[in-house]
Amino acid sequence: MRQSLSLRLFKAMMKEEWRLHQSLVGPLGSGLFPAMIFVFTAFLAVVTPLLLSRLPTATLLLMLHAASVAYGLFVGNFGSIGEQVMTRRLGQVSMVMQMPQTYPVSFKRMMAVFYAKDAVFYLLYSYIPLTLGVAVAAPMAEASLSGVAMLGVTTFLAFMVGMGLSFTLSAVSVRSRPAGLAMYAALACVVAMIHPLGIIGPECLMPSLGYWASKDPQGIAAAAAASLILASLGVALMKEKYEIRQSRHGDSILGFDRLLDFMGGLSTLAAKEWIEVRRSGALAPVVFSFGGHLLAVYLMSWVFERGVGVDLGFNVVFYSGFVGFMGVMTYSFITNLEHNEYLNVQPVSVDQVVKCKLAVYFALTTGVAALYVVGLGAVKHQMGLVPLGLLLAAATSVYVAAVTSHLTGLWTNTMFFDAGIILRFCGAVVPPMIVAEIAALIMPVRPAAAYAVVTVSVVLLLVSVPILRGLERKWAGASFSLVNTGQ
Amino acid sequence: MPVIEASDVSKCFGTTRVLQGVSLNVDEGEFFGLFGPNGAGKTTLLRVLTGQLMQDTGTVVTAGVPNTEPIRLKQRVGIVPEAETPPTFLTAQETLELTCMIRGLDDVQSRIERWIRFFDLKEKRDVLCRDLSKGERQKVMLAAAFIHEPGLLLLDEPFINLDPIYQRRVREYLQGVASEGRTVFMCTHILEIAERLCETVAVIHRGRVVEQGRLAEVSRGGGLEEVFLRAVEGEAVA
Repeated sequence: MRQSLSLRLFKAMMKEEWRLHQSLVGPLGSGLFPAMIFVFTAFLAVVTPLLLSRLPTATLLLMLHAASVAYGLFVGNFGSIGEQVMTRRLGQVSMVMQMPQTYPVSFKRMMAVFYAKDAVFYLLYSYIPLTLGVAVAAPMAEASLSGVAMLGVTTFLAFMVGMGLSFTLSAVSVRSRPAGLAMYAALACVVAMIHPLGIIGPECLMPSLGYWASKDPQGIAAAAAASLILASLGVALMKEKYEIRQSRHGDSILGFDRLLDFMGGLSTLAAKEWIEVRRSGALAPVVFSFGGHLLAVYLMSWVFERGVGVDLGFNVVFYSGFVGFMGVMTYSFITNLEHNEYLNVQPVSVDQVVKCKLAVYFALTTGVAALYVVGLGAVKHQMGLVPLGLLLAAATSVYVAAVTSHLTGLWTNTMFFDAGIILRFCGAVVPPMIVAEIAALIMPVRPAAAYAVVTVSVVLLLVSVPILRGLERKWAGASFSLVNTGQ
Repeated sequence: MPVIEASDVSKCFGTTRVLQGVSLNVDEGEFFGLFGPNGAGKTTLLRVLTGQLMQDTGTVVTAGVPNTEPIRLKQRVGIVPEAETPPTFLTAQETLELTCMIRGLDDVQSRIERWIRFFDLKEKRDVLCRDLSKGERQKVMLAAAFIHEPGLLLLDEPFINLDPIYQRRVREYLQGVASEGRTVFMCTHILEIAERLCETVAVIHRGRVVEQGRLAEVSRGGGLEEVFLRAVEGEAVA
């Protein structure tokens, strides 16, 4: 029987995705990624009931589904892909997605197939290993395997709703910025109506969560329908034609370069990086997403405390420890803006650009991080802890950025799909974070723990120095083209 | 005196051997043409010669600098890569400014004016490179390679996407470069242009140099097309 075009495209895209991963991180790294998710989840599933014995099941389910929607929102920004393809921002990497430029295939069909491919990819690469990981701990938590399977289904559907929502929002934003902003504002209103206003239930945004209240399959059907409707809406709203606007800018890199004289030999490249962040429209999203993620950590614990009625005792120093961790996403975003292939033919090395990316990263995040720590100090009436919080925030920020840039260079988003790299990252970042956070938590009962926070911070800063110095040795010989198969 | 010395260079991508024992010498002041069928290894060789890619075996010295020191090497040469990929979010003017500053050049404005005029980019100088046509982006890439007037130019299909007016303009410029005693190393498929420009040629096929020498000698009275076909088909038969 003759296969439909969509099915052929789907198969081609799945092959492409797998081969792209293999070419970037190797077959072993690529294959180990789901295995690593399985092991991590199994570990977490075993220890979570012990750590959170007082956590009601309903709150745990709410958190899991909310995290899945957030994950979907994070990965579903496909609306801008069309623009990237049509404005030739994918560098030398040619993908099946680019076929509508030259072949009689509509962009909408291509996006529908791409969406389906990504859904299957995340199901295989994330949700099945996650569910299997939880299944390992099921006997210890006295949970049935069928219940775990249902949890996998409902969280995946929550992910699909988030992905569909993000797809639709991005497709609208590409058509009309004001309409996109209005839709984001509407989404924020829905979230506010769920919490803190409590006018509507969380099932309105996460229909699959409704299944757990009454075991009524209606919630699952509603979630499946919502994700299908959102995906269809996103596809329908995709633009078929992208007019190549001629953006004109009369600025000169020369004057700007002089403002960055303090960066010495890197001032020119740093000026280029800054201009790219500004012109790509990434400035506001980067700053708000960094601040938003930090705020989300605080809000999640606040919701938890309100929901369970327990004071977790998280102080300003504890929250400050998350600054560096959240910065990884910001650094990844900055490294994703431009392919930099042009620099292959200039006397510039990858480590120089990595250093400039770090400079931009610190310029974008330092003020937000400081505001976060000082703001929390004021809200929680812990201004006395702010200096210690600032020290820990600075130390984790510098250390995690140093480790991330050392391990992933200019390709953070891609390299983190390599199980070997993510394991090394976790090995380097998680232990000091745990020590600092435990010390921060026990400070109210053991004030001497503050010395441990100071010690960890100073050690992290000191360790960061050789890591940052080692960037040159690690990346100087690298090519700016990640996929290096040219003839 | 050779400005490019490649000795027994081999390069593999996975299990595919792209270059196999390539040895090549290009003398100062020569206009050198490298030809070969698609996938023969031309671009890989150019990338190895310019330090963009490291060979698995063999040695390469370009413009007096081993390719193991790519920054110093790139400082001395001008390179036009296979794909026209100037920075997405910089304008044509800013791309040339960036190039001048990276290379530590003086007289930045006068250099830029010269190349903006040469390629008639005045109307497009403040347009983001992502919004330029392919031909305009190729002009930016060429201007960026020429702007520091290097002693050695390594060009991968420099005439691609250029209309006949600019093909001619670039051709004449390159002839001038060679007549000043500077060196041009060019990969191209446009044999008619190469025939008019190149004094020395090499044909690469399946990663091996199968023909090399002065054009008059290797063509044996015929044209470059015959040299190309003879070398490639001869190798195929062998």
